[in-house]
Amino acid sequence: MKAPTRRALAKQQTRAKVLAAARRLFSEQGYEGATIRDIAAAAGMSTGAVFANFADKSDLFREIMMTDMVALAEAMREAASHGDDVDEAILRAFMAGYLFYQTQLPLARAAFSVGWSTQDGPALRGAAQARSLRDLIADQLTRATERGELGSDSQGALRADMLFDAYLSNYPQAIFESWTLDDLRARARDQIDILLAGVRRK
Amino acid sequence: MATPENLTRVDDATAGAAVAQFPAVAARPRVTRQTRKNETRNRVIKAARELFDTQGYQGTTIRDIARQAGVSVGSVFTTFASKGDVLSQVMQDRLDGLYAELDRVMPHLRGATLERLQTMFAIHFAFEVRHTRLFLAHIAAAYDWTLPSTAQPMGANPRLQAIIRDCLAKGVSEGDVEGSIEFQETIDLLMAAYAWVYRLAARDDADAPTMTEVMDRQIALIATGFKPRE
Repeated sequence: MKAPTRRALAKQQTRAKVLAAARRLFSEQGYEGATIRDIAAAAGMSTGAVFANFADKSDLFREIMMTDMVALAEAMREAASHGDDVDEAILRAFMAGYLFYQTQLPLARAAFSVGWSTQDGPALRGAAQARSLRDLIADQLTRATERGELGSDSQGALRADMLFDAYLSNYPQAIFESWTLDDLRARARDQIDILLAGVRRK
Repeated sequence: MATPENLTRVDDATAGAAVAQFPAVAARPRVTRQTRKNETRNRVIKAARELFDTQGYQGTTIRDIARQAGVSVGSVFTTFASKGDVLSQVMQDRLDGLYAELDRVMPHLRGATLERLQTMFAIHFAFEVRHTRLFLAHIAAAYDWTLPSTAQPMGANPRLQAIIRDCLAKGVSEGDVEGSIEFQETIDLLMAAYAWVYRLAARDDADAPTMTEVMDRQIALIATGFKPRE
Protein backbone atom coordinates (compact mmCIF):
# COMPACT_ATOMS: atom_id res chain seq x y z
CA MET A 1 0.00 0.00 0.00
CA LYS A 2 1.17 3.47 -0.83
CA ALA A 3 1.89 5.78 2.06
CA PRO A 4 -0.68 8.58 2.20
CA THR A 5 0.51 11.67 0.42
CA ARG A 6 0.78 14.95 2.23
CA ARG A 7 -2.25 16.07 0.29
CA ALA A 8 -4.32 13.12 1.51
CA LEU A 9 -3.26 13.81 5.09
CA ALA A 10 -4.27 17.45 4.78
CA LYS A 11 -7.63 16.40 3.43
CA GLN A 12 -8.12 14.03 6.35
CA GLN A 13 -7.33 16.81 8.80
CA THR A 14 -9.79 19.12 7.11
CA ARG A 15 -12.52 16.49 7.35
CA ALA A 16 -11.78 15.94 11.03
CA LYS A 17 -11.94 19.69 11.69
CA VAL A 18 -15.25 20.06 9.88
CA LEU A 19 -16.72 17.05 11.71
CA ALA A 20 -15.66 18.40 15.10
CA ALA A 21 -17.19 21.81 14.35
CA ALA A 22 -20.37 20.22 13.00
CA ARG A 23 -20.73 18.02 16.07
CA ARG A 24 -20.51 21.06 18.30
CA LEU A 25 -23.00 23.12 16.28
CA PHE A 26 -25.54 20.31 15.90
CA SER A 27 -25.37 19.93 19.68
CA GLU A 28 -25.81 23.64 20.30
CA GLN A 29 -28.38 24.53 17.67
CA GLY A 30 -29.98 21.31 16.57
CA TYR A 31 -29.98 19.88 13.09
CA GLU A 32 -32.23 22.51 11.56
CA GLY A 33 -30.57 25.39 13.36
CA ALA A 34 -27.01 24.66 12.26
CA THR A 35 -26.11 25.85 8.75
CA ILE A 36 -23.17 24.85 6.58
CA ARG A 37 -22.01 28.47 6.75
CA ASP A 38 -21.94 28.38 10.57
CA ILE A 39 -20.11 25.06 10.49
CA ALA A 40 -17.53 26.36 8.02
CA ALA A 41 -16.98 29.49 10.11
CA ALA A 42 -16.60 27.44 13.29
CA ALA A 43 -14.07 25.20 11.56
CA GLY A 44 -12.23 28.28 10.32
CA MET A 45 -12.63 27.55 6.63
CA SER A 46 -14.71 28.50 3.62
CA THR A 47 -18.05 26.88 2.77
CA GLY A 48 -16.35 25.76 -0.44
CA ALA A 49 -13.82 23.77 1.57
CA VAL A 50 -16.67 22.10 3.50
CA PHE A 51 -18.49 21.19 0.31
CA ALA A 52 -15.29 19.76 -1.15
CA ASN A 53 -15.49 17.13 1.60
CA PHE A 54 -19.21 16.63 2.20
CA ALA A 55 -22.12 16.66 -0.22
CA ASP A 56 -24.47 18.54 2.09
CA LYS A 57 -25.56 18.96 5.69
CA SER A 58 -27.32 15.61 5.87
CA ASP A 59 -24.15 13.90 4.60
CA LEU A 60 -22.21 15.58 7.39
CA PHE A 61 -24.73 14.58 10.04
CA ARG A 62 -24.89 11.02 8.77
CA GLU A 63 -21.12 10.69 9.00
CA ILE A 64 -21.18 11.79 12.66
CA MET A 65 -24.02 9.38 13.44
CA MET A 66 -22.35 6.43 11.73
CA THR A 67 -19.09 6.98 13.62
CA ASP A 68 -21.00 7.19 16.89
CA MET A 69 -23.13 4.14 16.20
CA VAL A 70 -20.08 1.96 15.57
CA ALA A 71 -18.59 3.07 18.91
CA LEU A 72 -21.98 2.70 20.59
CA ALA A 73 -22.50 -0.85 19.31
CA GLU A 74 -19.07 -1.76 20.62
CA ALA A 75 -19.83 -0.28 24.06
CA MET A 76 -23.25 -1.95 24.27
CA ARG A 77 -21.93 -5.34 23.23
CA GLU A 78 -19.10 -5.14 25.72
CA ALA A 79 -21.49 -4.12 28.52
CA ALA A 80 -23.93 -6.93 27.68
CA SER A 81 -21.14 -9.52 27.98
CA HIS A 82 -20.88 -8.73 31.72
CA GLY A 83 -24.50 -9.52 32.47
CA ASP A 84 -25.17 -12.69 34.47
CA ASP A 85 -28.57 -13.34 32.94
CA VAL A 86 -30.49 -12.09 29.93
CA ASP A 87 -32.28 -9.32 31.86
CA GLU A 88 -29.02 -8.03 33.22
CA ALA A 89 -27.22 -8.31 29.87
CA ILE A 90 -29.87 -6.27 28.08
CA LEU A 91 -30.10 -3.76 30.91
CA ARG A 92 -26.33 -3.29 30.83
CA ALA A 93 -26.42 -2.76 27.08
CA PHE A 94 -29.10 -0.10 27.49
CA MET A 95 -27.17 1.61 30.27
CA ALA A 96 -24.03 1.70 28.11
CA GLY A 97 -26.13 3.55 25.53
CA TYR A 98 -27.52 6.06 28.02
CA LEU A 99 -24.05 6.62 29.41
CA PHE A 100 -22.67 7.15 25.90
CA TYR A 101 -25.13 9.95 25.21
CA GLN A 102 -25.30 11.35 28.72
CA THR A 103 -22.82 14.08 27.92
CA GLN A 104 -24.18 14.72 24.44
CA LEU A 105 -27.95 14.63 24.83
CA PRO A 106 -28.50 17.56 22.45
CA LEU A 107 -26.89 15.47 19.72
CA ALA A 108 -29.19 12.57 20.57
CA ARG A 109 -32.08 14.99 20.31
CA ALA A 110 -30.92 16.08 16.85
CA ALA A 111 -30.63 12.42 15.88
CA PHE A 112 -34.25 11.76 16.87
CA SER A 113 -35.37 14.84 14.99
CA VAL A 114 -33.60 13.67 11.83
CA GLY A 115 -34.61 10.04 12.39
CA TRP A 116 -38.29 10.94 12.36
CA SER A 117 -38.09 13.27 9.38
CA THR A 118 -39.58 11.82 6.23
CA GLN A 119 -36.65 13.11 4.21
CA ASP A 120 -33.52 11.84 5.98
CA GLY A 121 -35.07 9.47 8.50
CA PRO A 122 -35.24 6.25 6.49
CA ALA A 123 -31.57 6.42 5.43
CA LEU A 124 -30.45 6.99 9.01
CA ARG A 125 -32.64 4.32 10.59
CA GLY A 126 -32.01 1.81 7.82
CA ALA A 127 -28.22 2.08 7.95
CA ALA A 128 -26.29 -1.10 8.68
CA GLN A 129 -24.80 0.59 11.75
CA ALA A 130 -28.28 1.24 13.15
CA ARG A 131 -29.35 -2.33 12.42
CA SER A 132 -26.32 -3.69 14.27
CA LEU A 133 -27.61 -2.00 17.44
CA ARG A 134 -30.92 -3.84 17.12
CA ASP A 135 -29.12 -7.06 16.21
CA LEU A 136 -27.08 -7.08 19.38
CA ILE A 137 -30.28 -7.16 21.43
CA ALA A 138 -31.59 -10.01 19.28
CA ASP A 139 -28.29 -11.85 19.92
CA GLN A 140 -28.87 -11.66 23.67
CA LEU A 141 -32.27 -13.30 23.26
CA THR A 142 -30.89 -16.04 21.03
CA ARG A 143 -28.14 -16.83 23.48
CA ALA A 144 -30.55 -16.91 26.40
CA THR A 145 -32.69 -19.40 24.51
CA GLU A 146 -29.62 -21.53 23.80
CA ARG A 147 -28.68 -21.43 27.48
CA GLY A 148 -32.21 -22.56 28.30
CA GLU A 149 -32.92 -19.38 30.20
CA LEU A 150 -35.72 -18.42 27.83
CA GLY A 151 -38.14 -20.77 26.08
CA SER A 152 -38.18 -21.00 22.31
CA ASP A 153 -39.65 -17.78 21.00
CA SER A 154 -41.76 -17.50 17.86
CA GLN A 155 -41.84 -13.74 18.41
CA GLY A 156 -38.09 -13.32 18.83
CA ALA A 157 -37.58 -10.71 16.14
CA LEU A 158 -40.52 -8.63 17.29
CA ARG A 159 -39.46 -8.93 20.93
CA ALA A 160 -35.94 -7.74 20.10
CA ASP A 161 -37.36 -4.79 18.17
CA MET A 162 -39.65 -3.88 21.03
CA LEU A 163 -36.83 -4.06 23.54
CA PHE A 164 -34.77 -1.73 21.39
CA ASP A 165 -37.74 0.61 20.98
CA ALA A 166 -38.20 0.65 24.74
CA TYR A 167 -34.54 1.64 25.02
CA LEU A 168 -35.09 4.51 22.59
CA SER A 169 -38.39 5.55 24.14
CA ASN A 170 -36.66 6.58 27.37
CA TYR A 171 -34.50 9.22 25.69
CA PRO A 172 -37.19 11.93 25.80
CA GLN A 173 -37.21 11.59 29.60
CA ALA A 174 -33.44 12.00 29.64
CA ILE A 175 -33.51 14.87 27.16
CA PHE A 176 -36.51 16.85 28.38
CA GLU A 177 -36.99 15.81 31.99
CA SER A 178 -33.37 15.43 33.09
CA TRP A 179 -33.76 11.85 34.22
CA THR A 180 -30.61 10.47 35.84
CA LEU A 181 -28.96 7.19 34.90
CA ASP A 182 -30.55 5.63 38.00
CA ASP A 183 -34.02 6.76 36.90
CA LEU A 184 -33.40 5.30 33.47
CA ARG A 185 -32.10 2.05 34.92
CA ALA A 186 -35.18 1.57 37.10
CA ARG A 187 -37.51 2.26 34.18
CA ALA A 188 -35.60 0.07 31.72
CA ARG A 189 -35.47 -2.83 34.20
CA ASP A 190 -39.29 -2.85 34.48
CA GLN A 191 -39.70 -2.57 30.71
CA ILE A 192 -37.39 -5.51 30.09
CA ASP A 193 -39.25 -7.50 32.75
CA ILE A 194 -42.60 -6.90 31.02
CA LEU A 195 -41.27 -7.63 27.54
CA LEU A 196 -39.58 -10.89 28.55
CA ALA A 197 -42.48 -12.17 30.67
CA GLY A 198 -44.06 -14.21 27.88
CA VAL A 199 -40.95 -16.19 27.05
CA ARG A 200 -39.45 -17.01 30.44
CA ARG A 201 -39.00 -20.65 31.43
CA LYS A 202 -41.47 -21.35 34.18
CA MET B 1 -67.48 13.17 27.89
CA ALA B 2 -68.15 16.68 26.58
CA THR B 3 -65.22 18.95 27.38
CA PRO B 4 -64.79 22.60 26.43
CA GLU B 5 -62.22 21.49 23.83
CA ASN B 6 -64.75 19.23 22.19
CA LEU B 7 -67.26 22.04 21.94
CA THR B 8 -64.82 24.40 20.28
CA ARG B 9 -63.29 21.69 18.16
CA VAL B 10 -62.81 22.79 14.59
CA ASP B 11 -62.37 20.48 11.64
CA ASP B 12 -63.48 20.50 8.04
CA ALA B 13 -67.04 19.59 8.86
CA THR B 14 -67.58 21.85 11.85
CA ALA B 15 -65.48 24.88 10.93
CA GLY B 16 -68.54 26.68 9.66
CA ALA B 17 -70.65 25.64 12.61
CA ALA B 18 -68.11 26.80 15.16
CA VAL B 19 -67.92 30.22 13.60
CA ALA B 20 -71.68 30.36 13.17
CA GLN B 21 -72.41 29.71 16.81
CA PHE B 22 -70.13 32.49 17.93
CA PRO B 23 -72.37 35.55 17.30
CA ALA B 24 -74.79 34.26 19.91
CA VAL B 25 -72.20 34.65 22.66
CA ALA B 26 -70.79 38.16 22.47
CA ALA B 27 -71.96 41.70 21.78
CA ARG B 28 -72.14 42.79 18.18
CA PRO B 29 -69.09 44.99 17.43
CA ARG B 30 -66.74 42.52 19.10
CA VAL B 31 -68.38 39.64 17.31
CA THR B 32 -67.31 40.87 13.91
CA ARG B 33 -63.69 41.21 14.89
CA GLN B 34 -63.74 37.98 16.83
CA THR B 35 -65.44 36.18 13.95
CA ARG B 36 -62.91 37.48 11.47
CA LYS B 37 -60.10 36.41 13.74
CA ASN B 38 -61.65 32.98 14.06
CA GLU B 39 -62.04 32.70 10.30
CA THR B 40 -58.38 33.57 9.79
CA ARG B 41 -57.41 31.05 12.41
CA ASN B 42 -59.45 28.30 10.79
CA ARG B 43 -58.11 29.07 7.34
CA VAL B 44 -54.54 29.06 8.59
CA ILE B 45 -55.08 25.74 10.41
CA LYS B 46 -56.64 24.15 7.34
CA ALA B 47 -53.90 25.41 5.00
CA ALA B 48 -51.16 24.35 7.40
CA ARG B 49 -52.67 20.90 7.82
CA GLU B 50 -52.68 20.37 4.06
CA LEU B 51 -49.14 21.66 3.60
CA PHE B 52 -47.59 19.76 6.54
CA ASP B 53 -49.31 16.67 5.20
CA THR B 54 -47.97 17.02 1.66
CA GLN B 55 -44.57 18.71 2.05
CA GLY B 56 -43.76 17.95 5.67
CA TYR B 57 -43.15 20.29 8.58
CA GLN B 58 -39.62 21.33 7.68
CA GLY B 59 -40.54 21.84 4.05
CA THR B 60 -43.34 24.28 4.87
CA THR B 61 -42.77 27.96 5.64
CA ILE B 62 -45.11 30.46 7.28
CA ARG B 63 -45.18 32.25 3.92
CA ASP B 64 -46.42 29.07 2.20
CA ILE B 65 -49.14 28.74 4.82
CA ALA B 66 -50.24 32.37 4.44
CA ARG B 67 -50.38 32.06 0.65
CA GLN B 68 -52.38 28.84 0.77
CA ALA B 69 -54.78 30.31 3.34
CA GLY B 70 -55.16 33.50 1.33
CA VAL B 71 -54.15 35.71 4.24
CA SER B 72 -51.15 37.94 4.91
CA VAL B 73 -48.04 36.69 6.69
CA GLY B 74 -48.72 39.37 9.31
CA SER B 75 -52.14 38.01 10.15
CA VAL B 76 -50.71 34.50 10.61
CA PHE B 77 -48.36 35.98 13.18
CA THR B 78 -51.10 37.87 15.01
CA THR B 79 -52.78 34.52 15.67
CA PHE B 80 -49.77 32.23 16.12
CA ALA B 81 -46.35 32.94 17.61
CA SER B 82 -44.49 30.51 15.37
CA LYS B 83 -44.73 27.63 12.92
CA GLY B 84 -44.36 25.27 15.87
CA ASP B 85 -47.48 26.83 17.41
CA VAL B 86 -49.41 26.29 14.19
CA LEU B 87 -48.40 22.62 14.09
CA SER B 88 -49.30 22.23 17.72
CA GLN B 89 -52.76 23.69 17.10
CA VAL B 90 -53.30 21.60 13.95
CA MET B 91 -52.58 18.45 15.93
CA GLN B 92 -54.66 19.59 18.89
CA ASP B 93 -57.70 20.13 16.68
CA ARG B 94 -57.27 16.76 14.97
CA LEU B 95 -56.70 14.89 18.20
CA ASP B 96 -59.73 16.49 19.85
CA GLY B 97 -61.78 14.85 17.12
CA LEU B 98 -60.11 11.51 17.70
CA TYR B 99 -60.60 11.66 21.46
CA ALA B 100 -64.22 12.68 21.14
CA GLU B 101 -64.69 9.51 19.08
CA LEU B 102 -62.80 7.39 21.61
CA ASP B 103 -64.84 8.87 24.47
CA ARG B 104 -67.96 7.68 22.66
CA VAL B 105 -66.62 4.22 21.82
CA MET B 106 -64.52 3.13 24.80
CA PRO B 107 -67.32 2.76 27.40
CA HIS B 108 -69.12 0.32 25.09
CA LEU B 109 -66.16 -1.94 24.39
CA ARG B 110 -66.50 -5.46 25.75
CA GLY B 111 -64.01 -8.29 25.94
CA ALA B 112 -60.60 -8.83 27.45
CA THR B 113 -58.23 -5.94 28.16
CA LEU B 114 -55.99 -7.11 25.33
CA GLU B 115 -58.84 -6.84 22.82
CA ARG B 116 -59.99 -3.49 24.13
CA LEU B 117 -56.49 -2.08 23.79
CA GLN B 118 -56.20 -3.50 20.29
CA THR B 119 -59.48 -1.91 19.25
CA MET B 120 -58.49 1.40 20.77
CA PHE B 121 -55.23 1.55 18.81
CA ALA B 122 -56.92 0.31 15.64
CA ILE B 123 -59.19 3.35 15.89
CA HIS B 124 -56.08 5.52 16.11
CA PHE B 125 -54.56 4.06 12.97
CA ALA B 126 -57.79 4.27 11.02
CA PHE B 127 -58.05 7.90 12.04
CA GLU B 128 -54.45 8.90 11.30
CA VAL B 129 -53.44 6.74 8.39
CA ARG B 130 -54.33 9.22 5.67
CA HIS B 131 -52.23 11.79 7.44
CA THR B 132 -49.12 9.88 8.41
CA ARG B 133 -46.80 12.62 7.18
CA LEU B 134 -48.55 15.03 9.48
CA PHE B 135 -48.23 12.60 12.35
CA LEU B 136 -44.55 12.03 11.63
CA ALA B 137 -44.06 15.80 11.50
CA HIS B 138 -45.61 15.97 14.93
CA ILE B 139 -43.25 13.38 16.34
CA ALA B 140 -40.18 14.91 14.67
CA ALA B 141 -41.15 18.39 15.86
CA ALA B 142 -41.11 17.22 19.46
CA TYR B 143 -37.32 17.08 19.11
CA ASP B 144 -37.06 20.31 17.15
CA TRP B 145 -35.25 23.28 18.64
CA THR B 146 -37.74 25.68 17.05
CA LEU B 147 -40.75 24.18 18.82
CA PRO B 148 -42.20 26.56 21.42
CA SER B 149 -42.27 25.40 25.01
CA THR B 150 -46.07 25.71 24.99
CA ALA B 151 -46.36 23.02 22.32
CA GLN B 152 -47.26 19.54 23.42
CA PRO B 153 -44.71 16.92 22.42
CA MET B 154 -46.37 13.87 20.98
CA GLY B 155 -45.10 11.44 23.61
CA ALA B 156 -46.52 13.37 26.55
CA ASN B 157 -50.12 13.22 25.35
CA PRO B 158 -52.10 13.03 28.61
CA ARG B 159 -55.43 12.01 27.04
CA LEU B 160 -54.03 8.88 25.41
CA GLN B 161 -52.23 8.01 28.65
CA ALA B 162 -55.48 8.41 30.59
CA ILE B 163 -57.40 6.20 28.16
CA ILE B 164 -54.80 3.42 28.44
CA ARG B 165 -54.74 3.78 32.22
CA ASP B 166 -58.56 3.41 32.39
CA CYS B 167 -58.35 0.37 30.16
CA LEU B 168 -55.77 -1.29 32.41
CA ALA B 169 -57.61 -0.34 35.61
CA LYS B 170 -60.77 -1.92 34.26
CA GLY B 171 -58.72 -5.04 33.49
CA VAL B 172 -57.44 -5.16 37.07
CA SER B 173 -60.99 -4.94 38.43
CA GLU B 174 -62.16 -7.62 36.02
CA GLY B 175 -59.23 -9.87 36.88
CA ASP B 176 -57.38 -10.16 33.58
CA VAL B 177 -54.64 -7.68 34.48
CA GLU B 178 -52.16 -8.32 37.30
CA GLY B 179 -52.98 -5.95 40.15
CA SER B 180 -49.38 -5.20 41.02
CA ILE B 181 -48.20 -4.11 37.57
CA GLU B 182 -46.50 -0.78 37.10
CA PHE B 183 -49.12 1.21 35.21
CA GLN B 184 -46.79 3.93 33.98
CA GLU B 185 -44.21 1.47 32.60
CA THR B 186 -46.91 -0.45 30.77
CA ILE B 187 -48.44 2.75 29.39
CA ASP B 188 -45.05 3.93 28.20
CA LEU B 189 -44.36 0.65 26.43
CA LEU B 190 -47.71 0.82 24.64
CA MET B 191 -47.14 4.45 23.68
CA ALA B 192 -43.64 3.63 22.43
CA ALA B 193 -44.98 0.75 20.36
CA TYR B 194 -47.69 3.01 18.97
CA ALA B 195 -45.29 5.75 17.88
CA TRP B 196 -42.78 3.35 16.43
CA VAL B 197 -45.32 1.54 14.31
CA TYR B 198 -45.41 4.76 12.30
CA ARG B 199 -41.96 3.83 11.03
CA LEU B 200 -43.78 1.34 8.85
CA ALA B 201 -45.76 4.15 7.34
CA ALA B 202 -42.66 6.23 6.79
CA ARG B 203 -40.58 3.43 5.33
CA ASP B 204 -42.99 1.11 3.53
CA ASP B 205 -46.01 3.35 3.07
CA ALA B 206 -47.93 0.85 5.21
CA ASP B 207 -51.73 1.11 5.33
CA ALA B 208 -53.93 1.07 8.43
CA PRO B 209 -54.59 -2.71 8.42
CA THR B 210 -50.85 -3.45 8.21
CA MET B 211 -50.03 -1.04 11.03
CA THR B 212 -52.90 -2.43 13.11
CA GLU B 213 -51.70 -5.99 12.60
CA VAL B 214 -48.17 -5.16 13.78
CA MET B 215 -49.54 -3.17 16.70
CA ASP B 216 -51.84 -6.07 17.66
CA ARG B 217 -48.83 -8.36 17.96
CA GLN B 218 -46.97 -5.80 20.03
CA ILE B 219 -49.91 -5.30 22.37
CA ALA B 220 -50.27 -9.08 22.73
CA LEU B 221 -46.62 -9.33 23.65
CA ILE B 222 -46.93 -6.59 26.26
CA ALA B 223 -50.14 -8.21 27.54
CA THR B 224 -48.27 -11.41 28.44
CA GLY B 225 -46.30 -9.14 30.78
CA PHE B 226 -49.44 -7.95 32.61
CA LYS B 227 -51.26 -11.29 32.83
CA PRO B 228 -52.32 -12.11 36.39
CA ARG B 229 -49.66 -14.19 38.13
CA GLU B 230 -50.66 -17.18 40.18
